[in-house]
Amino acid sequence: MANDVVDVLIVGAGASGAAVAWSLAETRMRIVCLEQGGWMNPAEYPSNARDWETRAAKEMQVSPNLRKRPADYPINDADSPIAILNFNAVGGSTILYSAHFPRFHPSDFRVRTLDGVADDWPIDYATLEPFFAQNDNNIGVAGLAGDPAIPAHEPPLPHIPMGRMGETMGQGFNKLGWHWWPSDSAIITRPHNGRGECLNLGPCNTGCAQGAKSSADIAYWPVNERAGVELRTHCRVREITVDENDMATGVTYFDADGNERHQRAEVVVVACNGVGTPRLLLNSTSARFPDGLANRSGLVGRNLMLHPWGLVVGHFDEPLASNFGPQGCCILSQQFYETDASRGFVRGYNMQITRGGPPVGTARGGVAQGAIPWGEGHHEAFDRLFGRSIHLGLCCEDLPEAHNRVTLDPVLADSNGIPAPKISYTLSENSRRMLDHGLDRGAEAMEAAGARRVQKVPSPLRMAGWHLLGTARMGTDPERSVVNEWGRSHDVRNLFIVDGSVFVTSGGVNPTTTIQAVALYIADSMKRRLANLFD
Amino acid sequence: MTQRHIIGTDNPLTEGQRRVLAIVLDLIVPASDDGLRPSAADVDVLGYIREVEGHTLDALRADLDRLDAEARQTHGQAFASLDPATRQGLVDALREMAPHFMRTLALQTVTCYYQDDRVLEAIGVGARPPFPKGYEVPPGDLSLLEPVRQRGKVYRDA
Repeated sequence: MANDVVDVLIVGAGASGAAVAWSLAETRMRIVCLEQGGWMNPAEYPSNARDWETRAAKEMQVSPNLRKRPADYPINDADSPIAILNFNAVGGSTILYSAHFPRFHPSDFRVRTLDGVADDWPIDYATLEPFFAQNDNNIGVAGLAGDPAIPAHEPPLPHIPMGRMGETMGQGFNKLGWHWWPSDSAIITRPHNGRGECLNLGPCNTGCAQGAKSSADIAYWPVNERAGVELRTHCRVREITVDENDMATGVTYFDADGNERHQRAEVVVVACNGVGTPRLLLNSTSARFPDGLANRSGLVGRNLMLHPWGLVVGHFDEPLASNFGPQGCCILSQQFYETDASRGFVRGYNMQITRGGPPVGTARGGVAQGAIPWGEGHHEAFDRLFGRSIHLGLCCEDLPEAHNRVTLDPVLADSNGIPAPKISYTLSENSRRMLDHGLDRGAEAMEAAGARRVQKVPSPLRMAGWHLLGTARMGTDPERSVVNEWGRSHDVRNLFIVDGSVFVTSGGVNPTTTIQAVALYIADSMKRRLANLFD
Repeated sequence: MTQRHIIGTDNPLTEGQRRVLAIVLDLIVPASDDGLRPSAADVDVLGYIREVEGHTLDALRADLDRLDAEARQTHGQAFASLDPATRQGLVDALREMAPHFMRTLALQTVTCYYQDDRVLEAIGVGARPPFPKGYEVPPGDLSLLEPVRQRGKVYRDA
């Protein structure tokens, strides 16, 4: 019965909510997860069709403001140079992620101590290490052991194929004496837990028709449901309710038919990402919490970090078949990941080598930029670009700044009338310098690899705000953080936050593996404290 | 008698507009010399526009009419009646004067063209969707990593 009190209520069935549900399921507690989206059907993903590029552009738009599926909510990101991207379904944004899966470094948890900026995390790499490994095994992660840029670990599956393009870039990095390595990828390269291996379809970031990409809907939820977790889809939570003792009592939500319902719960776990989570907390106002739930610090929604993204494209004379292979996974370089003050900025960035464009993407880009002419020479120009380009993405660490924040839009609302999030974000000088450095170094790498032409794309890219971090930060001081060192709200003792909102800093890599490791760590902390969870 | 625009489900362009469109599409992507890649005029670009980007049809009609009007004004003939070099020159001049002239059509053309079976076959992708067959990608030569291994650890302890 919906009005029964459940033991644990999880809001959001994405990367972190799925991981928490998996971990808590062994307690045999009654666990319910509410997800505003529905199940995706891999048989309907674009790569099932010849016109997959058209379908991807139409159906799998990365911005919810353009995609406008019924499960999406609008986001006012006009006051940000970086648009907010997400996906709303069982599996959350992992439906569209590239599955590039590098871990945070040990130094990422000690930025104040090492570099004198931001704050140290209240936990460290060693604490998370077993949860990284657990998550890798749960979902299936491919990689090559021995990467000297990260503490030793053993990815459970063989690395993603580099192809000729990976070798070409590797040779370029070798010429410069820089680090590079086949990247950890949340893609299964061998059958794993009943799932078939990667077929190199290419467009992972439009949904994986094969189910080889370890999105949370495929890698976690079937297991979770078999373990007894109840997943209710098309249920959008409006607010978390509390009693006079500052304890969460449950949530009010709209079901698939738009009916308002209330679900009582002993524990509420919020897993809605770095924009959805502060939105929900800020919308959960009451006499006890007039500025939003769990917000006595005033930090809910603040310190939003987005990973400003840079892009360098290299065009090569020789055919590289670069259009084949998992789009976002090949090799990486972390030569400039750790701080070197002589560079003019602190912290660093990851270089993610991604595949060249598909046919339509190549042609449209070439025509728009004038690299592919009308008429005579069209075919030759297309052939010079197609399968012969390599992309180098720059994932720049974004430092927390209080003025970068999520608030509630006073006008814009979703289809249930819930206020939309409003983003206020400016690029810091440190990030600007880091981007410029990365663009120059990326171009240098392309030239060393033999590119005949190198494009430094104006950055930060606008349509690149996937990584939503920092808006309910973790810490030991209730004045300076929203949740404690194991994810429990300082203000509401049965409220937990488990997504990227709790990140103290952003690292310089795609965050999903660290988000899931943190979520598993928080769930484990809860299990170990069950007898006195609310003390 | 001036031909009226009869805009119906099956006839978004007049015959005259269709003739101009076919010529323009061939100017954007002509057939390849080896005959393996068709002209864009031989691909259903209009069908694509109607199905996927129907909201741009008004702008397309306006551009096609403008081209024909320019031909009549400058050369005293319908665009379709001009010789190939004159057509090309007229289109080039209009694009030079107004960079956005037919820009959307060019993007729509290549979007449709590079999803045509004959074209996908010719460029080596194969006339099929990526799934279920997928593609072969070589694993790569891991011996290239030897210098990276030799340089050793590059992360900081913390």
